[in-house]
Amino acid sequence: MYFKKIPVLKVESVNDEYFVLRIRDKELTQNIKPGQFFQIKDPDVAIPLLPRPFGVYDIKEDVLSFLIKKVGESTKNLSILEEGHIIQLLGPLGNGFPVAQNKKVLIASGGIGYAPMPYLEQKLKEAGNEVWFYHGGQSSNDVFCDDVQNCTEDGSCGHAGLVTEHIENCFDSMDVDVVYACGPELMLQALSVLCNERNIPIYVSLERIMACGVGACCGCVIKIKENGKVVYKKVCKDGPVFGGAKVIWDE
Amino acid sequence: MNKCEIKFGKMRWKNPVTVASGTFGLEYAELFDLSQLGALTTKTITPEPKAGNEPQRIIETEAGLLNSIGLQNPGVQEFIKTDLPEYSKIDTNLIVSISASSINEFASLVKKLDTQLGIDAYEINISCPNVENEGIAFGTAPEIVFDLTKKLRETTDRTLIIKLSPNVTSITDIAKHAENAGADGLALINTLYGMAIDVETKRPKLHNIVGGYSGPAIKPVALQNVYKVANAIKIPILAMGGISSVNDALEFIIAGATAIAVGTYNFINPLGTIEIIEGIQEYCISHNISYKKLIGSIQI
Repeated sequence: MYFKKIPVLKVESVNDEYFVLRIRDKELTQNIKPGQFFQIKDPDVAIPLLPRPFGVYDIKEDVLSFLIKKVGESTKNLSILEEGHIIQLLGPLGNGFPVAQNKKVLIASGGIGYAPMPYLEQKLKEAGNEVWFYHGGQSSNDVFCDDVQNCTEDGSCGHAGLVTEHIENCFDSMDVDVVYACGPELMLQALSVLCNERNIPIYVSLERIMACGVGACCGCVIKIKENGKVVYKKVCKDGPVFGGAKVIWDE
Repeated sequence: MNKCEIKFGKMRWKNPVTVASGTFGLEYAELFDLSQLGALTTKTITPEPKAGNEPQRIIETEAGLLNSIGLQNPGVQEFIKTDLPEYSKIDTNLIVSISASSINEFASLVKKLDTQLGIDAYEINISCPNVENEGIAFGTAPEIVFDLTKKLRETTDRTLIIKLSPNVTSITDIAKHAENAGADGLALINTLYGMAIDVETKRPKLHNIVGGYSGPAIKPVALQNVYKVANAIKIPILAMGGISSVNDALEFIIAGATAIAVGTYNFINPLGTIEIIEGIQEYCISHNISYKKLIGSIQI
């Protein structure tokens, strides 16, 4: 874990909702597990106070990238940063996805849940896995890559409908060993049910409001089933990746 | 010669800066050498493990943070077994924050911890707004604060710091009761009561409805509390409440605090404590004033 102040290399707009933030740093790009995240903040901005957590989208040599959706003030502020502006990064944080070896794996993402998946896909392929990648969004605005199976709710790109429905339709023909998912919680919950019915392990990456990001404050806990008991686990440190079968989903 | 050394109760601190209970942990040892701090303050420990409150536990609001963590901690046994040996390796003072639900429980908790080496002080958390029947239930009644402090004074020789709540009618009255009962120092302030509501769902944003409010927004409130208490008592004050810069820390010291604690700001800048330590030292040098003279040097 590092805490560094680093100049912005580039902010690239994807469309009016999403952008990619890039920084260059030798240390920060070492040994990052897919699914790990950084707490990022513009130190010149007093309010909002807290940094925001963003999953690692891509690492190419010493360039670290984050795919970010503009949802509030912090993300909007980051989206208009100019090259050279100093931002602070704390990380890498969290446990990350366990990378299978020589298996048949399925990646499923929804909306901004796509962010940590291309880097996971790369690592999975390097480890000899056969990878299917399904991504869903509301419209073509939420689609980021033509090389994956895209689904949109309004049918403006790829298959029309929910990505979970699409996966359910072809799940049994694929003979999947492991599923990796990140996206809206209803999607993760539905996928966990599908996987549990078939006894397929599923790893889900969750998002919660965080303060410290390192496990000190206990602010971001979720309920997890562990040894027959329900316990609180910290999304920042024990997660953000959890076995989907163990998560007690919000009603 | 380090000009910012202080004496706090029976402790000697190399500098006047610690962290506020619940906002810091050994996790930060990956980022800097924790022995640089004047003292370390643990998360509050209770006699039995506490799971903490239902989420949602934190919400950021205007210039502050609302929390209702609920003193999640592994309990004293596990603390002694797992955390204390790690804390003991760090070459600085260790303040163990504790809470319990009766005076006798507080006393037996202190007795248990007193058998362990490596602890320099107890911070008696009688001001947590997020747990029922303990925490703040003690901190609002001057007579109970007196009885509790007296009992703990009879129980331990270690430095006793009573942590006070701002959510009271007269904080100076409570401070005096703690002093008269034998406290070595006071820590103030704990969080203010606060809440936030989602106007679309009309539901409170915290599951517990009401939580504790911290961060820059509460600094003026904390400062006036420290100023008032400093004028009412003789024992040292460990001041906290929104400290986010060297300037903030200096204000509290000038108002009468002997030491300061950084809380919510650790989440914003995990190296903030170190920057504040250096800044205080630089201020003393550039203003040609000893740290001891700076304490309570407010000009009215």
